[in-house]
Amino acid sequence: MATETLPVSAPGVTVTFDPEDGVAVVTLALPGKVNKINPAFGAALAAGLDAAFGAKGLKGVILASGHKDFCVGADIDVVYASRDPKEILAVVGQLNAGYRRIETSGKPVVAALTGSALGGGYELALACHHRIALDSPKVLVGLPEVNLGLIPGAGGTQRLPYLLGLQEAVQHIAQAQPVRAPKAVKAGLIDALAPDRDALFAAARAWIAANPSPKQPWDTRTPLPGGVQPGTEAARTLAVGAAAFLFSKTAGCYPAAEAALRCVFEGTRLSFERGLEIESRAFAKLATSDQAKDMIRTLWFGKNAADKQEGLPQTADARFTKVAILGAGMMGGGLAFLATKAGLEVVVRDIREEALQAARARVEEQAGKLRHLSAQERAELVGRVTFTLDLEPLRGADLVIEAVVENLKVKHQVIREVEPLLAEGAVFASNTSAIPITRLAEAAVNKDRFIGLHFFSPVEKMPLLEVIQPGFTSEDTLARCLSFGRAIGKTCVVVNDGYGFFTTRLFAAYLLEGCQLVAEGHDPVLVEWAARSLGMVMSPLKVFDEVTLTLGMHAFTTREAVLGEKLDLAGLELVRAVVAAGRTGKAAGAGFYDYEHPRRIWPGLKDLVKAETPAETGVAHLQRRLMLAQLAELGRVLDDGVLRKAIDADVGAILGLGFAPNTGGPLSWADRQGLPQLVAEMDTMAARYGARYAPSATYRKMAAEGARFHEGP
Amino acid sequence: MPAQAPDVWVYDSVRTPRGRGKDNGSLYTTRPVRLLSGALDGLKARTGLAADAVDDLVIGCVTQVSDQGACIARTAALLSGFGQHLPGVTLNRFCGSGLEAINHAAAMVGSGLHDLVLAGGVESMSRVPMGSDGGALFDSDLVLEVGIVPQGISADLLATLRGITREDADRFAAESQRRAAAAMAAGAFSRSILPVIDQNGLVVLATDELPRPETTAEKLAKLNPSFAMMGEQFGLDALTRKVYPQVERVNHIHHAGNSSGIVDGAAVALIGHREAGERHGLKPRARIRAVATVGDEPVLMLAGPMPATERALKKAGMSIGDIDLFEVNEAFAAVPLAFMQHFGLDDSRVNVNGGAIALGHPLGATGAMLLGTALDALEDRGLSTALITLCIGGGMGVATIIERV
Repeated sequence: MATETLPVSAPGVTVTFDPEDGVAVVTLALPGKVNKINPAFGAALAAGLDAAFGAKGLKGVILASGHKDFCVGADIDVVYASRDPKEILAVVGQLNAGYRRIETSGKPVVAALTGSALGGGYELALACHHRIALDSPKVLVGLPEVNLGLIPGAGGTQRLPYLLGLQEAVQHIAQAQPVRAPKAVKAGLIDALAPDRDALFAAARAWIAANPSPKQPWDTRTPLPGGVQPGTEAARTLAVGAAAFLFSKTAGCYPAAEAALRCVFEGTRLSFERGLEIESRAFAKLATSDQAKDMIRTLWFGKNAADKQEGLPQTADARFTKVAILGAGMMGGGLAFLATKAGLEVVVRDIREEALQAARARVEEQAGKLRHLSAQERAELVGRVTFTLDLEPLRGADLVIEAVVENLKVKHQVIREVEPLLAEGAVFASNTSAIPITRLAEAAVNKDRFIGLHFFSPVEKMPLLEVIQPGFTSEDTLARCLSFGRAIGKTCVVVNDGYGFFTTRLFAAYLLEGCQLVAEGHDPVLVEWAARSLGMVMSPLKVFDEVTLTLGMHAFTTREAVLGEKLDLAGLELVRAVVAAGRTGKAAGAGFYDYEHPRRIWPGLKDLVKAETPAETGVAHLQRRLMLAQLAELGRVLDDGVLRKAIDADVGAILGLGFAPNTGGPLSWADRQGLPQLVAEMDTMAARYGARYAPSATYRKMAAEGARFHEGP
Repeated sequence: MPAQAPDVWVYDSVRTPRGRGKDNGSLYTTRPVRLLSGALDGLKARTGLAADAVDDLVIGCVTQVSDQGACIARTAALLSGFGQHLPGVTLNRFCGSGLEAINHAAAMVGSGLHDLVLAGGVESMSRVPMGSDGGALFDSDLVLEVGIVPQGISADLLATLRGITREDADRFAAESQRRAAAAMAAGAFSRSILPVIDQNGLVVLATDELPRPETTAEKLAKLNPSFAMMGEQFGLDALTRKVYPQVERVNHIHHAGNSSGIVDGAAVALIGHREAGERHGLKPRARIRAVATVGDEPVLMLAGPMPATERALKKAGMSIGDIDLFEVNEAFAAVPLAFMQHFGLDDSRVNVNGGAIALGHPLGATGAMLLGTALDALEDRGLSTALITLCIGGGMGVATIIERV
């Protein structure tokens, strides 16, 4: 008897049945390119299961995808739009009932993960009795919901502990990092790997034959791995330790991670179905919260649009084969690695041999981390990079990224030196963090192929590329550079030219305000905590130390030189005094902080502060100061027309600067405050603490019009 | 019931010796219910009370599971000479339970509703480990929403906030040992201690067995702090920043040698009004002038004795200078040190016979024991007033002021 196709009552799913072995294959392929969980998905799944479970002689079911990925999770639009907990509870209630039906059917159901299973998609796989994935690093599984201010809402917090143990489950959900299939099988997230599709289905059929009536461990109350069982004293101790550890990392800014922890420990103590209620309530609360809306807008919709480069000129072929990188510092070495990893030929040039050696070591070190490549592939990758003191090897390059010292004269000289050597149609890019591209291009002949590509350090890790396109830069040049940015895995935000563009201005305002507050007599410990408890990834004095104070001061000096405008702030004076005390930052082992264990604010700092502790101080006050100082500067950036879209500010600030991700970015935060309120507060602060707080014309106008930066819930 | 609120008298107070709260402790083989029934019998014998003379028994006990579950007050009453006539209620105000039981009894008597009430506490820490009763106080909700940390971290935080150093704490601990040893040698506890005896009538333990009189501050200086790793590596210190953002680093100063010892023991006092005492031919030893309980900041947790003392003084219409002797429970050295710092007291009037660092802290019993210790010390010195106070988990404090009559 041949395999038959069973009739199904909804679109987006096909069911085949092999009467020989009694296995039905339910293949989900919702309209479009991906399976994402929404009402249509629910209907397709139900219809597919109806057909499969109705088959005469059924022995088991393989749940598969007709798309590249298995299932990428919930349709975020549904969650984003709702402010009604009852509505959310109804959605997850239905989903849970559907998933429950799979695992309590009495027949074995195997998830065939031929592609990624994320969020609700992985939760679907958890509701199957067995999970087999393709042995490929491209197949990702896991629960990334916490990144969007959510938790798994379809049983993930209740089922995963039975696979990983309590502690590992909390860690996985709180860290929200999907895992590649080869690693996932080791971690216990999936049960087995198969080399190809046929082998995967064969393994699934074999498992069904061997396990005719499986039950889920949560239904048989099988002890959890890891030894610690729900409801025991050991579990309580573990929960407290996990909660404390979480708080030490998040400073209380991420209710979703906290909720995940609570759901895991509390829900698993109860009967499984009632444990789902614990999770559902927490999910509904989070899904309808401001934080989830703001994080979803920026980190899902905003970032996805930026990754797709929506509304930007595109080209399929960047027409870059040979990349020249000028300046072999940390940045140069990192860029060389990213470019060779993308398959490009790379030449790194510096005038100092030590710098070249350091860059080579960096490329080798980074290549060594690519464990999925063979040793030969890694060697080839390193071999594509040439390190040179000479100019000649640069000849014929079609993309140059200069990352030399931040000095207009030096940069002009480099541009004049290198541009004539380049291939026909080559693009010259500057990685300056602040100097206007227009000023740099004064030395260039081909201004239409001159552009700013501002990377962030450490460049292998930081996801943002700020692309600066002055009026003279052609759309084709932009399109080619965006294509390059995508090829090296960066999220691109395109801005107009101006001193410090967007990110550097916001960053400088942040650092400076941290110093200024200390100089005004506020306790530096409170200033740092104020930043951390806002959700800023790095507190201002700590990050200033990491940047190194001298580099930071150099940037402020450059700013004065370029703009011809003097910054006269006690905070700057304080930085000069710290440097004068021989403390230049973390690299030197001494800056605002002492770096002997345990790291703490340098006790001598208070002796450099002339001011008494102000009457108005404390964490709440300092939080407002740190935020409003940044927002005020951002307002001037908006007035200057540097930004093209509001969402660019939010995506760029979070991905490039570590601006509090929990806020959804500075303009999302501004919307939540209400612009009229924000403008009034800035006016008050400007009168009290200085003109840097003054609200910009953009803010005033929008406040008067009742406008917001982002529409939406 | 008297027309006016009657005075509340303390007629007598007894306790067991404190045994090491481990399986090598002398009282490990005695069930806590027997520790308590033994104390009840001892007090009954000393006072000559009839079995049905007492209205109620109020007992503090913290870890009310296992051997200490199911209302140990009534259970112990049934095993004692009071037998079926003595009802019993068990309460839990954590480390303040023993004194809370006294204060409850005082309230019953002071209201005129009861005539004579027995009150005290019991804890066998060797048999019923601290924290084995579960509960929601120290779990992820409280940790994340309130910032509750283990007491040791709170104690180190108190020290950090008050500038109390490791040297201060070790010096205090060594002095507690010295004073306890001197007090034992002078028989300062002998009026209160009733030996624990077994079924053969043989003595199981007759004196406190925890003190280490050879302790010096120099020896203590060699011990590693107990809560440093928990605080620094497991993130518990960071939790304190919800309420104390100014504390960049918690200074971990406490260790086994400058914190209270884990012990077993029980104590009972007889509380009643004048008329009832006269009826039963009892001679009062002291009057309860005032009691107070307070709710205080729970992360710091251990600063409750200060506001509790202030409230009790206010109720009694007294000032700190009116108190002759203080018993401030030595849960951790920082607690009495902070107390002395706060009220500007030198140590000549505080814990004159040592404290829980040397003698041990049988959680639910300690408050009742300290009442007896204070009373004995007043009588020995011919002084009049004492204030007993304890810090309490969850951020509470309790205080009682007594005056000899």
